Amino acid sequence: MNQRGSLIGARVPKRDAPQKASGRAVYGHDVRLPGMLHGRILYSKHPHARVLAVDTSRAERLPGVKWVLTSADNPGTRFGYGKDNIPFKGEVVRSLRDEVAGVVAIDEDAAEEALELIRVEYEPLPPVFSAQAALAEGAPLLHPEHGSNLFQGFHYEHGDLGRGESDSAVVVENQFRLPYVSHACMETSVIVANFEPGGRLTLWSTTQIPFLLQRDLAEALDMDGRDIRILQTAIGGAFGRGLDIYPFEPIAALMARKAGAPVRLSFSRREEFQATPVRQPAEVVLRAGADKHGRLTFRDVSALLDIGAYVSWGTVTPLVFIETTASLYQVPHVRFQADCVYTNNPITGAVRGYGNPQSTFYVETAMDRLAEALGMDPVEFRLLNANQPNTVTPQGLVITSCGLKECLEAVAAAADQGSAAGGQGADAALGWAGAVGSTRGGDTTRRRGIGFASTLNVGGGARIYRSDGCGAIVKVDDFGHVCLVTGSTEIGQGSETVLAQIVAETLGVDIAAVSVENSDTDTKPWDVGVHASRTTFIAGNAAHLAALEARAKIFETAAELLQTDPEQLEAHAGQVRVKRDPSRAMPLDQVVRRRHFREGGQMVIGEGWYDPPTKLVDKATYKGNISAAYGFGAQMADVEVDVDTGVVRVLRLVCANDVGRAINPMAVEGQIEGGAQMGLGYALTEELLVSQGRVLNPDFLDYRLFTAADMPRIQTIIVESEDPGGPFGAKGVGEMGGTPTAAAIANAVFDAVGVRITELPMTPERVLAAIEAGERRTRP
Amino acid sequence: MKEFAFHSPNSLTEALELLGELGEQARPLAGGTDLLLQMRQGERLPGALVSLRRLTELKGIHDDADGGLRLGAGTTLRELTRDATIRARYPCLAHTAALMGSEQVRSLATLGGNLCNGSPSADLAPPLIALGAEARISGPRGERALPLETFFLGPGSTALQPGELLTHLVVPPPQGRCVYLKHAARAYMDIPMVGVAAQLSFERGQLRKPRIVLGAVAPVPLRATAAERALEDGPLTQERIQAAAELAQAACSPISDLRSSQGYRRRMVRVMVVRALESLRPNGSGE
Amino acid sequence: MKTLVSLTVNGVAHELYVDTRRSLLDVLRSDLGLTGTHRGCDSGDCGACTVLRNGLPVTACLALAADCGGDEVLTIEGLAVGGSLDPVQQALVEKGAIQCGFCTPGVVMNAVALLRENPRPSELEVRQALAGNLCRCTGYVKIVEAVLSLQEAA
Repeated sequence: MNQRGSLIGARVPKRDAPQKASGRAVYGHDVRLPGMLHGRILYSKHPHARVLAVDTSRAERLPGVKWVLTSADNPGTRFGYGKDNIPFKGEVVRSLRDEVAGVVAIDEDAAEEALELIRVEYEPLPPVFSAQAALAEGAPLLHPEHGSNLFQGFHYEHGDLGRGESDSAVVVENQFRLPYVSHACMETSVIVANFEPGGRLTLWSTTQIPFLLQRDLAEALDMDGRDIRILQTAIGGAFGRGLDIYPFEPIAALMARKAGAPVRLSFSRREEFQATPVRQPAEVVLRAGADKHGRLTFRDVSALLDIGAYVSWGTVTPLVFIETTASLYQVPHVRFQADCVYTNNPITGAVRGYGNPQSTFYVETAMDRLAEALGMDPVEFRLLNANQPNTVTPQGLVITSCGLKECLEAVAAAADQGSAAGGQGADAALGWAGAVGSTRGGDTTRRRGIGFASTLNVGGGARIYRSDGCGAIVKVDDFGHVCLVTGSTEIGQGSETVLAQIVAETLGVDIAAVSVENSDTDTKPWDVGVHASRTTFIAGNAAHLAALEARAKIFETAAELLQTDPEQLEAHAGQVRVKRDPSRAMPLDQVVRRRHFREGGQMVIGEGWYDPPTKLVDKATYKGNISAAYGFGAQMADVEVDVDTGVVRVLRLVCANDVGRAINPMAVEGQIEGGAQMGLGYALTEELLVSQGRVLNPDFLDYRLFTAADMPRIQTIIVESEDPGGPFGAKGVGEMGGTPTAAAIANAVFDAVGVRITELPMTPERVLAAIEAGERRTRP
Repeated sequence: MKEFAFHSPNSLTEALELLGELGEQARPLAGGTDLLLQMRQGERLPGALVSLRRLTELKGIHDDADGGLRLGAGTTLRELTRDATIRARYPCLAHTAALMGSEQVRSLATLGGNLCNGSPSADLAPPLIALGAEARISGPRGERALPLETFFLGPGSTALQPGELLTHLVVPPPQGRCVYLKHAARAYMDIPMVGVAAQLSFERGQLRKPRIVLGAVAPVPLRATAAERALEDGPLTQERIQAAAELAQAACSPISDLRSSQGYRRRMVRVMVVRALESLRPNGSGE
Repeated sequence: MKTLVSLTVNGVAHELYVDTRRSLLDVLRSDLGLTGTHRGCDSGDCGACTVLRNGLPVTACLALAADCGGDEVLTIEGLAVGGSLDPVQQALVEKGAIQCGFCTPGVVMNAVALLRENPRPSELEVRQALAGNLCRCTGYVKIVEAVLSLQEAA
């Protein structure tokens, strides 16, 4: 039974919002330290080459240049998930983003100029620019010690595929091509490094994994972890960019060490597009079947992923591909194979959704095709196969709360309302969405369509590391001020505020009485990092536990003072009072002082540690319960396709998400709406064009994000299934806003013009080509 | 970025003198929204910049003696979207400017800068050429005028000689209604894949001097003269529209680049010409 | 090469000796320490560096500092005076329109310019005006809501 309190479910504005609105938040680019120098990186000129010589002499002589670093400055240890990366590459370069040298100078201009003066002699080696080419016989090996360009193969099975095929009345098959996309955070990558006299390294970082970074850096720099302190600045967007150690981080530290001064290393926007990790492109073949009653029988998927030249955490997205393939909807027989292949293309990493946008796209396209083949309504078909609460999937996912059915019904109802409003009225309601742009064709060239897609995402952590835990400390002082020290990181999603709400609610104090500290690895308790939509659930539970422990101490003293038992007490509105006789009360801060200022007195500090009851996924079978709760969602896209130009305009996107409990509905909506913007871009306009290992569109002019004028009307519906494991019933939502979007839109395009698009993004050119290749379907 | 000297003359005469003295290494700076980016990318490396910001001679939108309009080259895109005269008499210019860049960029970017940058996809070129605009140029040898359609010589290249400045455009009185369609992936912020401007005027149901101008599909903004001739002296029927669109399509020579393929651009020329012409039907939506 | 520029920023007159290559954004952030105006792209595409120059919203990264002589510039730091937030800032805070906050100062300045010119914009007009402010966190939904909510107060 969950507590229904006034702060749980409250639309509390983010605590740091006023500071951000005033321009006072300090981002990495704003950090200024006395004597701070500036670092820049020289990247490889070839996608694959031997480095014969690096001549830095001219650069070193340039006025303003302090130091030039090369691989001679490497500590000698390898880092990264595949232990295949080093700071500066001195022998072989494997991509155009390989770091060959670094310059430290008094300002960015001098550093930039110095880069031009570094002479590198290369011996080009034959490159491979596709996974297929990299796997072909005789292909050059990127990491010869690995023996193959196949970094890792993932194989998963449950049930019996042959049985599934024979049970099928309908079978569909498609091939899918999924593109490179970039996080495109508004703030470019930046890090400030400083070695204190005495050898301790302090970093101002935008990392999402401060403690893992601390450990990884210690390895990469051959240092003791105790000597590394990571401070987190305000972070201008993350979305997975900061989910691993990347070379620029140890490079900044090496620069700072050599210079004996603080060094800031920041990326230009071009560099951001060219040199930060991106989402892996993938080629997928999917076969799926259903029986004559409409029940899913099997899915058989094989995927080829181009991971780039080095491996990071973000490379193991097949784990999530498997989760969606095996567990989105109830499907008894599944086979999945994914090969992750090294190429000389841009390095890939974790990007919001982490394999889910890709896998949901192919699963939900197949669902639509199966429904069509069966002659079933697409929503009815999905409802029939929907995941149910309190079940265990064949993969071993323990689904506790599950609101998938409610989400599907909610978006279906929204679809009916929209069409009921009628053509004219609906257009009028859409107002700006229809009016924007000057080339909208006449009535005869526009077709409307509606499409659906669901999503399943971990919502209670994701055990991908030995610990999935988070620690918290709650301190209540003599003034009744509450400080929450949490291991989790605020990346803009509002976690600080949600955690403050949980603590304030537990202690019965006003939200303004709670402050949150979370930016210093020296002081905050451990947390594995902010990813996998885990923060509300895991950090929330930890904060709740810490607050409960603090409250227990307060109640212990209050019970003495109010002459009752602790179980009879409650904390409310800044008071501690007897539940059955609220007039017997004391201000909470007074209780704290009375506990403190006496002989044998004590402070009020509570500690909480929450590591969910989940398992590391089995390395061989990929089975097991990876998360303590799962979030669900569904989207409906209402689109208009211009059959002469191929332009797809989304007029309305309805998003329903089961978040267990919306502790802060405004923050939940913000996550869904923001996720939808990414999903829309993934579906329609965003593509990092890579040719010969080079990014062709490293700018916002040609890497097209949806602007305020491109966005459809978005409706968010929050479904609360009240998860038993989450704090006040809450589960995570951070990634689900954008995972089903591309599929919903593709399904809507099919509804509108009768063609299936299986390559993203659905640019006007691709859509027009598909329309012309396929047959038109008239709407019933 | 390479170092450069910065000059800020207070009059057109002073500016022309400076440009004459400094020679080839100097470039005029208007809004800077193209030039500064080119300098940052290393595409242009001027040794000196001559700011045009303070030249009042380049500002202003004034009625011309013949009932047309004089548009100062220093008019910002923002001014084009807000000016009452433009909105009333040449609304397609206001609409076109509103489709370019963003509010912030439009506060900086100028009419002259957009044209003198010489991009084949300059959005203001097709509608201005369709309107019959004339470029007025000042330089060491005095003033001269030329039809805007001959102003563009190739990608990044205009008819401006060393030491010359585009001072204003003279647009004749409106000859019927004019429209500009910009086909791009997003509603705003994009360079067009294809741009089509058209101006139609009717005399007793027959088209007189129709003008169709294509942007982004040739080395320069292109008047589709064959398409215009096919429409001239006849009614605006479906057949004639299709015929004109086909001729326009045949006249263009688009390239494939990262925004679009050649084949798609070619097809969109036809679609957009049809749409532009349809929108200019006497009872059509237009503008 | 350097040149002398006199300009007013947030009501304070400055005489600065600047490298001609510097943008207004560079000068605001480095010379004047006003880091509230953010650099998102340096190419005028993202709007994070929006300031008001003589009352008009401009991307400061595209304005050459040397060419700003005599200009009056208003940055995010000059907006709220005396400790309280400007109504635009307040609305963004209350409507949950701020997540990572990096785009926020640019959004605020552009919205302030919009509302000064047009106190009752339609949703279409708000979206058109804000098209030049890219945001990766919010999907713009609450930003637009916040700006529209100020109409009742106007």
